[in-house]
Amino acid sequence: MHIVCCVKQVPDTTQVKIDPETNTLIRAGVESICNPYDLVAVEAAVQLVERYTGRVTVISMGPPQAESALRECLSIGANEAILLSDRAFAGADTLATSYTLSQAITKINAAEPVDLIICGKQAIDGDTAQTGPGIATWMGYTQLTYVSEIIGIENGNITVRREIEGGCEVIQGRLPAMLTAELELASIRYATLPELIRALRYEVKVWGAKDINAAPEKLGLKGSPTSVREIFAPPVRGGGISFDAKEKKEQAVEDFLGALFTKEKTLMEEILIKASYAQE
Amino acid sequence: MPKNSKGREVAEVVPGKCIGCQLCIGECPTNVITMEDGVAVIEAEGCIGCGKCVDVCPVEGAILFEKQRKKKAPKAAVACPIEEYKGVAVFIEVQNGRGAEVSWELMGKARELAQKLDTRVFGFLPGYNIKSVAKEAIAYGCDIVYTLDDPLLETYLSKVYGKALAHLCQQVKPDILLLGATPLGRDVSSVVATQLGTGLTADCTGLDIDPECRLLMMTRPTFGGSIMATILCRNHRPQMSTVRPRVMKLPEKDMQRRGEIKKLGFEAARDSLPQVLEFIPRTAEAGEVDITRAPVLVVVGKGACDSKSLPMLEELAHLLGGTIACSRAVIEAGLLPYPRQVGQTGKTVAPKIYIGVGVSGAVQHLVGIQGSDKIIAINTDSQAPLMQIADYAIVGDYQQVVPRLIEGIKVRTEKEASKG
Repeated sequence: MHIVCCVKQVPDTTQVKIDPETNTLIRAGVESICNPYDLVAVEAAVQLVERYTGRVTVISMGPPQAESALRECLSIGANEAILLSDRAFAGADTLATSYTLSQAITKINAAEPVDLIICGKQAIDGDTAQTGPGIATWMGYTQLTYVSEIIGIENGNITVRREIEGGCEVIQGRLPAMLTAELELASIRYATLPELIRALRYEVKVWGAKDINAAPEKLGLKGSPTSVREIFAPPVRGGGISFDAKEKKEQAVEDFLGALFTKEKTLMEEILIKASYAQE
Repeated sequence: MPKNSKGREVAEVVPGKCIGCQLCIGECPTNVITMEDGVAVIEAEGCIGCGKCVDVCPVEGAILFEKQRKKKAPKAAVACPIEEYKGVAVFIEVQNGRGAEVSWELMGKARELAQKLDTRVFGFLPGYNIKSVAKEAIAYGCDIVYTLDDPLLETYLSKVYGKALAHLCQQVKPDILLLGATPLGRDVSSVVATQLGTGLTADCTGLDIDPECRLLMMTRPTFGGSIMATILCRNHRPQMSTVRPRVMKLPEKDMQRRGEIKKLGFEAARDSLPQVLEFIPRTAEAGEVDITRAPVLVVVGKGACDSKSLPMLEELAHLLGGTIACSRAVIEAGLLPYPRQVGQTGKTVAPKIYIGVGVSGAVQHLVGIQGSDKIIAINTDSQAPLMQIADYAIVGDYQQVVPRLIEGIKVRTEKEASKG
């Protein structure tokens, strides 16, 4: 079985902050990591190969530095890694990104047929969850998103558990298929020393727009229907009233309740009436 | 004004403002822009001072370049493109035979947008036995409901629903299509956008019409909520957007409202489709509560992450007819289960009263609570971000404040009861 995983290098968003004085992004010292959902996808692919034999190829679209995200995937057991890097890819939204990745997968498929694509359910920097379904649509593959368990593969069918509104479903679809991974799909292993060394020594292949036979008008900024008009700091709610309960404890809480029940009289009456009904 | 050794006036990136989108890299004719630590850097010696990077940069003031030159005329396409596409459409998601609440919330927003554009609101309703849902759609503000009624549409499958919605878009040609950012809505929206080759903006928190170019302005948090971006889809239709539940307000239902229901034909390949073998409802898990529906939320933060305090906080929530939720740190500590998490990676909530106990208020948390009517914060640190934005901030130790709050509310509840 041949599995392709699509990964993205992202800034560690827990470290990205806004400078409160200048209202600008502080990105200095923010680490770039492999999107955690994508690592889960790679781990799940490696586990499938361990179960059914086969190979895992990871691909990533990004600047040359994104190579380090691919090495992370190699260190946990991916067999091959390809970086899609070209100036023509810059500024891509999810439509152009999924087109570029699917062109690469088409090329990979021609050399060695692809049975399964696994992507993370979303990237932590954009949170769109659009690239995986986009790839499935370009490729015409069976689409199974929010997968939390791969139950099995048999006779060209894959059975998975998907997390959906109000519960989960067990669903079976034909291969080739595109899956997107929830965090609980697999727990990522620690890389062993020999694997780390192999990952470091591995020569990552780099493909540009010509290598994947891509139509220039569908790439990057040109191929992106959406564009950013402006960027700003999240809206800040104006501060309200403050009560100091450090010094005069009882008085502060009483003052607060007094203010709350006066200023929000109707709201509080409504809440207390509803609460009393609920208790009866 | 910076100049290089050749005396050319050069452009310079302001690292704090650069968002690392790399658009300038693709635009630079001399290839002198590189990425370092996630921000663009222009090599001054190679810069020819053409200013192309400034034109393409989406952030005002992120590239300094003061040389006098003609400002590029805005793209002609901005003025009302693709005129045959009209109307604001809402995808109506069916959950357990009823319209999902998020679809009605979007119907309210669609009415507002349609008014600004002087156009109509459409409902796109694929499903099976959905007549009552179509009627409800009209009550919530829909002018024409287009239904595709077919047994094949009873269960959700990406391919079939994708085809159904793409088909509706091709037939009706709406200017705008809004979908709820539920698992289903997110899954199908991307299929439709890819099939139609149009733009899609996920998880918008703000939707409005630009009064000049009449385009949909889609605002969403990005980088884990640390910045907001307004996105446009200039030259492709429909302009597609998903919105999380509880972000928009639910409109009033008016059963007297009149509208049309139009049934369209639908053909889809029925072979080699995936089959749903089993559905396991999540409510079967013991004690699970939907925190998005509670009128009052007592939200436990890192500063109150202590199992001994939980009963006290639960009592406070209970007194106000609410329930307990928490920040991400509390989930990681294992004190409460994931469905209780509020924020970017948890749920978006909009209670009437939000009470944060020991919640510092990281941006990832704050984006999930913006719709709250009133925010009350209790924290020892008066400088915590949540304390800064709260309507009522109580500086102090929650272990001392909360019991007094409970006491005070009880007194008032009794007063209320004796009155009524």
